[in-house]
Amino acid sequence: MITNKSELMIKVLIVDDDDDVLNLLETWLTKEKYDVKRASSGLEALNLVGIYAPDLVITDLYMEGMDGMALLTELHNDNPLLPVIMLSGQAQIPDAIKAMHLGTSAFLTKPINQNEFLETVSKVSPNLSDKSSFNEFAKSIVFESKAMSDIVEMASLVADNDVSVFITGSTGSGKEVIAKSIHAASSRRDRRFIAINCGAIPEQLLESELFGHEKGAFTGANVRHEGLFQAANGGTIFLDEVGDMPLALQVKLLRVLQDFEVRPVGSTKTYPIDVRLISATHKNLEEAVEKGEFREDLYYRLKVIPLDIPNLAERQEDIPVLAEHFLSDFSKKHHQTKKKFSPDAMRYLVSMPWPGNVRQLINVIDLCATLAKNKNIPFSLVKNAVHDDPVQLQTLKEAKHEFERGYLLSVLRITHGHVANAAKMAGRNRTEFYKLLNQYGIEPAKFRDKNIIEKEVN
Amino acid sequence: MSDEKIIVQVDPDLEELIPGFLENRKLDIEKLRSALNEKDFVNLGSIGHSIKGVGGGYGFDLMSEFGANIEIAAKENNADVIQENIDRLYHYLKCVEVEYT
Repeated sequence: MITNKSELMIKVLIVDDDDDVLNLLETWLTKEKYDVKRASSGLEALNLVGIYAPDLVITDLYMEGMDGMALLTELHNDNPLLPVIMLSGQAQIPDAIKAMHLGTSAFLTKPINQNEFLETVSKVSPNLSDKSSFNEFAKSIVFESKAMSDIVEMASLVADNDVSVFITGSTGSGKEVIAKSIHAASSRRDRRFIAINCGAIPEQLLESELFGHEKGAFTGANVRHEGLFQAANGGTIFLDEVGDMPLALQVKLLRVLQDFEVRPVGSTKTYPIDVRLISATHKNLEEAVEKGEFREDLYYRLKVIPLDIPNLAERQEDIPVLAEHFLSDFSKKHHQTKKKFSPDAMRYLVSMPWPGNVRQLINVIDLCATLAKNKNIPFSLVKNAVHDDPVQLQTLKEAKHEFERGYLLSVLRITHGHVANAAKMAGRNRTEFYKLLNQYGIEPAKFRDKNIIEKEVN
Repeated sequence: MSDEKIIVQVDPDLEELIPGFLENRKLDIEKLRSALNEKDFVNLGSIGHSIKGVGGGYGFDLMSEFGANIEIAAKENNADVIQENIDRLYHYLKCVEVEYT
């Protein structure tokens, strides 16, 4: 989460080994309301880029050590879209040509003319509306790291285009948070966002869930059921764990994506759909394609814009801001005074490997906030909470519980809360089925209201 | 060379920077003289290059001209032209008076 005033300003990093040049450029740029940071060498600039995340870099060509060309190459290795203006005391054409080939945005000769300089800066700077859409987007995602900033930047750029986004990342890394933010930043934001976990629903049910079915399509299908693609019409559908989708369904999904229409199970009719697709997986789909477990054509159809969310341990600088955010959430939810981690407790949080990623961090923070006796959360409590957290592997009982609950929700959605039909689909008698529903606290009446789909699925 | 004042008009936004900037150029004169004594033409070229690059931006166009002359002369190992331009730069710095307009 970027919190400084430069959120609303273009951030410019100026690089020159001459302080008088830096002073001059800084004065000109600051007067024009740019946010400016300065570096006296290419190496210092490279170190600053990760922390400051400039929108534009202006560098001298001739510097001791790393020169402007080498800096440009390094900068573009990491971020090929970063605009760079090269300044040179020599108006030498070969230098200018080389710089342009390397991807410099403009080449200016010294002594620098103020008007020409500011015009060039203005021309190559990203426009503020792009930046403000990034900032709007970034508000919903808590981060401090360059890695997440790059993902948020890419996601904000593609949010308003209807391209398919494919999010990869380990379990608990926040794939759905990114998907929801893309939806919220798109022109589809006023329509529905429907998420479904493809790995948690049996194949036969998944097909009906996604594409719908006609009355009588199979045993227990006593009413027509509208699938999630149709329910999400005009909005966004998020297919989580798409890598777990059975091959037979992959073919059907591919057809939907090619034809923009769905054919419910048991129907001869197709229905046009206008849905933005975001998919995610924790699996290595390239490997799955090689093994023949995932269709290559579907893989490329889904992976138009790939976003790879790093594990929490790879972006340690995000941990303090996330911890702060979740502590605030906890205090609001439980109407309590906000607690805070002692410095050594925070250091410990930052140093942990977090195999369960952000989800595990939330569990630990909730546990600490619940158990802390006073405002300060001590190191000992955090240590115990981290070691007691069983996030790495669910128990068999928990896994069964989770699956059974998901299954019951699915059959109720499909039968629109008709318990007799749902029981029939599940192969149980009505009494047994009611017992199960009671056990999981599921109220069938809620499924008679169509609008429940989104809430329950999410 | 006469000791008449040389008036240079400078952007008021740069007012705070100018004393330090002019002080640095006086240091450049010392560096140039020392490099010339040692016939260190690489260093002379580099200092000339830097003076050329920075002078005009602050509004001191003549300074950039002297810097450019020194840079070119250094490439040709021409000590006389370098000496002449160091002297001109020294005289310029002695006589320059800044007006912030």
